[in-house]
Amino acid sequence: MKLPNRTFALFIVTAALATLPWWAGDLYKLHLAALICAYWVLIGGLNLVVGYSGQLSIGHVGLLAIGAYCFAILAGTHDVHPAFAIAASGALCALCGLLLGLPSLRLPGFYFAMATLAFALIVTEITLAQGNLTGGGVGLSVPGFPPPFDTPRGSYWLILTLAALVTWLSWNVARHTWGRALVAVRDSAVTAQAVGVPVFRAKLTVFVFSGFTAGVAGALFAVLQSYITPDTFVFDLGLFFFVCIIIGGRGHILGPAVGTIVLTALPEMVAPLAKLGNFFYGLLLLAVVLLVPEGIGRVFELLLQRLRPRRESHVVKPDLDRLAKAIEHGRSAR
Amino acid sequence: MLVALITGLATGALYAAAALTYNVMFSTSKVLSVTTGHISMLGGIFGAWFISTLGWPIPIALLGSMVVGAAFGFLTDLIAIRRVLARSDEHLWLLSTLALATMVQQATGLWWGTEPKPFPRLIPQDFSAGLADQKYWLPIAIAILLAVALELFYRRTLYGKLFVAMSEDAFAARARGIPTGRIRAMSYVIAGAMGGLAGFAAGQLTFAYFALGLTLTLNGFIALAVGGLGSNVGALVGGAALGILSAVATYFVGGEYQQTISVGLLMIVLLLRPAGLFGSQTVRPV
Amino acid sequence: MSLVARDITKRFGGLTALSQVSLELNPGEVHGLIGPNGSGKTTLLNLMSGYYRPDAGKIELDLTDISTATVQRRAALGIARTFQKPRLLPTLSVLDNAMLGGWRDARAGFLSTAFCLPRVRIDERLLRSRAEELLHGVGLSHAIGRRANLLEHAEQRFLEIARGLAQRPRFILLDEPAGGLTPAEIEHLGAVIGVMRAEGVGVLLVEHHTDFVFRISDRVTTLDVGTMIKHGTPDEVRRDPDVIRVYLGA
Repeated sequence: MKLPNRTFALFIVTAALATLPWWAGDLYKLHLAALICAYWVLIGGLNLVVGYSGQLSIGHVGLLAIGAYCFAILAGTHDVHPAFAIAASGALCALCGLLLGLPSLRLPGFYFAMATLAFALIVTEITLAQGNLTGGGVGLSVPGFPPPFDTPRGSYWLILTLAALVTWLSWNVARHTWGRALVAVRDSAVTAQAVGVPVFRAKLTVFVFSGFTAGVAGALFAVLQSYITPDTFVFDLGLFFFVCIIIGGRGHILGPAVGTIVLTALPEMVAPLAKLGNFFYGLLLLAVVLLVPEGIGRVFELLLQRLRPRRESHVVKPDLDRLAKAIEHGRSAR
Repeated sequence: MLVALITGLATGALYAAAALTYNVMFSTSKVLSVTTGHISMLGGIFGAWFISTLGWPIPIALLGSMVVGAAFGFLTDLIAIRRVLARSDEHLWLLSTLALATMVQQATGLWWGTEPKPFPRLIPQDFSAGLADQKYWLPIAIAILLAVALELFYRRTLYGKLFVAMSEDAFAARARGIPTGRIRAMSYVIAGAMGGLAGFAAGQLTFAYFALGLTLTLNGFIALAVGGLGSNVGALVGGAALGILSAVATYFVGGEYQQTISVGLLMIVLLLRPAGLFGSQTVRPV
Repeated sequence: MSLVARDITKRFGGLTALSQVSLELNPGEVHGLIGPNGSGKTTLLNLMSGYYRPDAGKIELDLTDISTATVQRRAALGIARTFQKPRLLPTLSVLDNAMLGGWRDARAGFLSTAFCLPRVRIDERLLRSRAEELLHGVGLSHAIGRRANLLEHAEQRFLEIARGLAQRPRFILLDEPAGGLTPAEIEHLGAVIGVMRAEGVGVLLVEHHTDFVFRISDRVTTLDVGTMIKHGTPDEVRRDPDVIRVYLGA
């Protein structure tokens, strides 16, 4: 797309999102929008892990839970200022990401997925068992944000800003060298090694980052729920995050974002889908994997390509002088 | 304490059966299917449905459960494996089997209900039988039976040998004219029947419960990883170890930390012996 | 100043893939490595690039033992390679694939990248211009923006070379780069290799197209079932009776 179009589209979208409280309709829809943004704070970070480095973490809901409980305990039970509590949730979950990632990121794909699944189940076990800290099965109530964020609009704008920040951060990573390195880790670790990418360290770095965003998302999510129990953080939710990314398309930022919006909003608007619950997500995932494994984002790319038919050359014709100069420049840069 | 041990052994037997199913499917497709646990879950639920709701005689219900398992195994291969293996993307099968497993679990939950329902008595026996209760020794007997049957199948039958050939080098097998697609489908059908039988046998222990699918996928996998991928003896040992450890831990510490402990076991074993207790080291990327 | 494999022995289970093989790759030189299938050529290349460790013998760079250095470490030391079957990132563009080779020159860390600090933009511009020049140089001007999975076989091979050169290597190890190329494309490949050599890059050329190897190599090593049977100038090797018997035919 030509640059003016892209900037213009971005402007329109930002304006629409910022002014949403006025055109969304009712408070319920505003709350839903805030929830989508909170989910995106997690999914935007998780996208680098699943969509870019190709690590299939299906248990990130565990980190969401830890972040949520951390916030509820600090800001609620211990009266810590919510801003610190949010930061602490992020930091704690970044640490948990490190501890979880260190042993499990070396494992092959299925083993890793099962390890993250086990992690999510373990978090549920521990939150149930440690009743004094977490309220056990009864759960905890969660304090709200301080003014000016204590209104529905205020909290929406706070969460929207954080969601926009995560988008910007992950987009920066994706479009520069790190993004290419992550795609190499995903699609051809052998190639990644050959050019010097530290494969394990790269995977671990994005995993810790995704832990941080999950922790922050957990805190935001907890405030929106205003009351959390272990049941709030079932495995199904972790699967939902994962599916948003796969359906939106690995290697994209916009695709998973749209995926998050659609998959959160759809069951709310189409009642029969809500009843089907996870069956619907499973069916969508299956359909995407079998029909458009690169995600729905890719479908749009392909359609755009169809609209611009080009006859393409495949003839290789070296320009030897240019090659010589390029190699020489490389040598002198050493 | 003895009850805890026996319960652990029995649950472990179910995990071992799941690990055996993993092995059979892996041998011909190099895929670890997320639907593994769900096969046994369906075996248990359909068994209960056949006997309690439809009133079928028990042997017919047993057969029925195996057929359901086999059909689901076939379906897994047809939908989630076949088209996906052809593509070069390595982990697509993880996504497709995950999707299928999710759909099956949810659909079963919607149909059967989300509460665990009791599984009927298979052999006339007093409920005060204590440790000799069939809910303990049925799963154990079936797990051993399946492992033995599998070994005989691999060693004595032609098809078994074809399985082994495929598991060692699928490319060479195809080059020798072995119909690898059909063999793979067959292995999934057999794995399905095995899982269905195991679920049926363990029904009185686990109850007919839709959520068993995912937990059995995970625990069966832990048993598999501990015992060593590809080893049937390892599957039995891994399952027994996991089952006994969980039960003993529950006895001493309470049931709150079951998952934590079983994963702890897995981590320790993998750290000391990454290929599992009876597993073999595998080969190269370049 | 050389990359040397010294008395390398490598076993896989019961099979000895290489037995006491030595090879010296000098800067500004094309060293051909030929031999029948299964003679150990790719194994030697994998040992030199770091994917395998030798069971005996060593790999040396500038007289320093790098036998246990990781693949990434060797890339940082200036060793690049291509693969027998081209390994590209199919969802990225040709330019992105080539820019990947510049990884070690990108100074910015993860957080710097996330916050798009000035260093990141400078790195990106530098890597982009370098990759573009290399792509023009190897002959892929027409495909720079194209998605890599749309490339034909020859284009893939040249892209791998461009990516390798983006690493600014002192030595580049080419694993059967002429495989599947037409005669015209092989000519181009030869010209490209000639430029690399003129610019001081040491080129290891593992190949089956023996005419091609003899034509552009400065020295040739011949392997057979894991042992070296002849080493010398192309003329010497071409005429050697053992080489003819084992590989070239009557």
